[in-house]
Amino acid sequence: MTAGAVGESVRRVDIEAKVQGRRRYPQDFSLPGMLHAVVVWAGYPHARIRRIDPSEALAVPGVLAVLTHEDVPVNEYGINIYDQPVLASDKVRWLGDRVAVVVAETLRAAERARDLVRVDYEELPIVDDPLEAMRPEATLVHEDRRSNLLKHIYVRRGNVEEGFAAADVIVEGTYHTPFVEHAYLQPEAGLAYIDDEGRVTVICAAQWPHDDLRQIAHALALPLEQVREVVPAVGGAFGGREDISVQILVALAAWRLRRPVKMVWSREESIRGHGKRHPFHMRHRWGATKEGRLTAVEIEAVLDAGAYASTSVPVLENAVSFLAGPYAVPHARIDGYAVYTNNAVTMAMRGFGATQPPVGYELQMDRLAEALGMDPVEIRMRNLLEPGSIAVTGNRMPAVTSARETLRAAALAAGWREEPQGWRRPGASILRASHLRRGIGVACAYKNVGYSFGFDDRSTAIVELALASDGSIQSALVRCAAVEVGQGVTTVLAQLAAQTLGLEVSRVRVALTDTAATPSAGSSSASRHVFMSGNAVVKACRQALEKRDAALREESGATRIVAEATFRGHDVRRTTAYDIVDGHCEPHISYSFGTQIAIVEVDIETGAVQVDRLIAATNAGTPVNPRLCLGQVAGGVHMGVGYALMEEFIQQKGQVRTARLSEYHIPTVADMPRELESIFTEVPDPDGPYGATGLGETPTLPTAPAILNAIHDATGAWITELPATPERVWRALRGVPAQPAAPARRPCP
Amino acid sequence: MKPFQYRAPTLLSEALSLLASAGQRARALAGGTDLLVQMRRGLISADLIVDVKKVFELNRLDFDPSDGLTIGAAVPLCRICESPEVARHYPGLVDALSIIGSVAVRSRATVGGNLCNAAPSADSIPALIVHGATCTVASREGTRQVPVARFCTGPGKTVLGPGELLVSVHVPPPQPRSGARYLRFTPRHEMDIAVVGVAAWLELSEGLSTIANARIALGAVAPTPLLAVEAGASLVGRTPSAGAFAEAAALAQRVAAPISDVRGTAAQRRHLVGILTRRALEGALQRARGAEPDGRQG
Repeated sequence: MTAGAVGESVRRVDIEAKVQGRRRYPQDFSLPGMLHAVVVWAGYPHARIRRIDPSEALAVPGVLAVLTHEDVPVNEYGINIYDQPVLASDKVRWLGDRVAVVVAETLRAAERARDLVRVDYEELPIVDDPLEAMRPEATLVHEDRRSNLLKHIYVRRGNVEEGFAAADVIVEGTYHTPFVEHAYLQPEAGLAYIDDEGRVTVICAAQWPHDDLRQIAHALALPLEQVREVVPAVGGAFGGREDISVQILVALAAWRLRRPVKMVWSREESIRGHGKRHPFHMRHRWGATKEGRLTAVEIEAVLDAGAYASTSVPVLENAVSFLAGPYAVPHARIDGYAVYTNNAVTMAMRGFGATQPPVGYELQMDRLAEALGMDPVEIRMRNLLEPGSIAVTGNRMPAVTSARETLRAAALAAGWREEPQGWRRPGASILRASHLRRGIGVACAYKNVGYSFGFDDRSTAIVELALASDGSIQSALVRCAAVEVGQGVTTVLAQLAAQTLGLEVSRVRVALTDTAATPSAGSSSASRHVFMSGNAVVKACRQALEKRDAALREESGATRIVAEATFRGHDVRRTTAYDIVDGHCEPHISYSFGTQIAIVEVDIETGAVQVDRLIAATNAGTPVNPRLCLGQVAGGVHMGVGYALMEEFIQQKGQVRTARLSEYHIPTVADMPRELESIFTEVPDPDGPYGATGLGETPTLPTAPAILNAIHDATGAWITELPATPERVWRALRGVPAQPAAPARRPCP
Repeated sequence: MKPFQYRAPTLLSEALSLLASAGQRARALAGGTDLLVQMRRGLISADLIVDVKKVFELNRLDFDPSDGLTIGAAVPLCRICESPEVARHYPGLVDALSIIGSVAVRSRATVGGNLCNAAPSADSIPALIVHGATCTVASREGTRQVPVARFCTGPGKTVLGPGELLVSVHVPPPQPRSGARYLRFTPRHEMDIAVVGVAAWLELSEGLSTIANARIALGAVAPTPLLAVEAGASLVGRTPSAGAFAEAAALAQRVAAPISDVRGTAAQRRHLVGILTRRALEGALQRARGAEPDGRQG
């Protein structure tokens, strides 16, 4: 009866149309009488604008308008704070600032005119290093602020001096992670028009369309009811579509000119125009007893926030809660700083402040293991958080805390043995060539599910049932603006509805996201839709069933039942902000845990690293759709491999040096581990729908530190700056002499 | 992209007349994988595009044991790599041609295009150089032969004058007891541009005990792909050995004049020239002895 319900790997509901090329992505939409718009980008990473002269551009035949800051009713936007101009007025603060928009009858005319918009700049000194930017005499990115420091967040737990005094061993390390580009398949595109109800309507890719509305309405000084966003198929997001890209620009042009306006960014514009994952500078000092138990951690992290705030503050909040790793530690002093610079805006990207910390905390763990002569699995087992443990932020960990289960599953799969004296790594294996070294590395990581730190996270779903005359359910329609960005949420919501309603999944339809027809589900981020929107859909389905039963009892003859339900994170766990004194808080609604073990081959002559095998143990609670979960793991590992070995968005003096995908390398399938083994530990989340929880981000977190630890195991070299490019590995290895082949220098599988 | 005229002649003479008619403002189009990208980006503009994919002479792929291999300038790379004769007699060429771009790119891109684009990092060029390959260049005035080693004159620059067209590349017949290997280093396995590329070709003496002839060519370490003359010459008459290869590798490093850019620093490139030269020589030696080296690149 419930074919395709929870636990089954049903086929994605959108897959056929996508494979056949029938699903339309934002750039595929056109309307009669449509105009084309292009952006005039900032000419410098930091400069004062003296004058903008559009006269030559306006003289190009077919050009209708050159919109500047003067045309924007309220010239500000921003996902957290309105610190970003829609169109730059007094100055530009990064190369992604938009100075003007040229609107023309044809794309060619618009592009020709773009080069003729004269902008008179006065160059300003650049601040491109967050550590420099923190100095009191540094150039200010925002002159209305007294310093470039956007936010400082800290945690004080116990007494670290006491903790270090009790330590038998102390290890220190500094770690650096780079800017990372989302590199989604589909560059930004949007089409805006005035719909038949007079609303400015934008067709575009988004992660939280209702939040886009707030920002569009604010900039255009329109009531919320007069803006609308429709989200068709989205070619990937990964956090990069949380912030506004083309939305306000096309809405403004369509509103001013009363004609449909389309804007499509090239790949180069996409790379220039949207934010990146935050680079972290991290400094760690950890103490432990000779039994391997943590006594104290002292951690400092500086985040480059780029030119505007975007979500840097919540990313920093998240990061500070994760910087000490999934470990119980009695004494902690943790400080995190987010700093404005003239670099690219930094924003959400798969992990949201949980991706960079493992590069520090998992290398620290291996350094401790090495200093103590302990097995890397054993030392982690002795420190991992478990249900009921107190985290550094003073909160008690919930029942879904499954770090140990993921570590155990991964370790066993990799050949570790649990012996009376502790966990023991597998033995040596044969190498293929004298210039290769093999190593194995372990990393654990964890991530929040849902929005944190007191945010009133919620998702609303409407379920409509079509009934036969006997009251049986013929079909169901789910309305919920949970954006399908490729992760499979539409399929999962259909499965959860099918399970709850006792229907075949083919009888459940999930409506396309349209703010005029689907209620806000919150953002497609924070691994939250399975948990938040899944709960909302299940709740709405249960209410619909109750209404149906009541209708049957009353013999009302109803053929249509509608129920609406909102699920609030607060109902599960009431999160709180960091305490002003000691930083203690209830940070997160729920959690996802994962462990990965990487086996790598390092070419010690060239520094090239190949991941031979990767074991990923992930907890998604009870998986709703195991195949889709595997897709998240494979995709997460892919991004993790890129993070570990090649991805680095490089800027010099605010100028982009990796402006194209031929310069900014993302891995191809040939760079993936030769063998990928995915294990789901299935520790249920009692608060999730049918025991499920989110896993969109967790699989990307342990990959890089597992690879770095494996490189160290193979060669003895610590790579502490991502990515571990051949050149960085080669430089770290200089002086390590070539040795004969098999057996490996150090035992490994 | 600016508007242009498009012509697709079938006769070589017609193609040459068209090219002559527009001079500097004409460009030949084969696979288009470089040209169209550069036109879209505004780096190249042309009034006339002469599509040469229909011209017979540019689509030949002929092998004869006594004449060698003739590759028409418009033959797509995948056709060359899939040829059993090329695979058997010129595996060192297949090393290079089979790693350019992706499957999709290789089903369009051509050796002629790789030569005429004249990137310092072009994979096909070092491999063609060590094979002693020659270009046939035609214009309305006639035909001339240019060794591949002298075809490129700088980044994006070749010996082709206005109205001239690269018709084909000729590779001499395979020598007994010879072998070639091309290796490149890239940060990712596929779809990448060489940080360093090295081609090596060895011919052994009759007893297989000494090296009768050797050529080494380098890519991505100078304004054009480079024949490392002294590195090759140092091996002639010597017994193939780790010492001899190390010496040749050091000589190759000496002629390399790499720059630092986003793909790699000069120091890393110079280091890689040494490693790759040694490995390419080892691979070429295995092939000269009738064995097949380990298939992995870099």
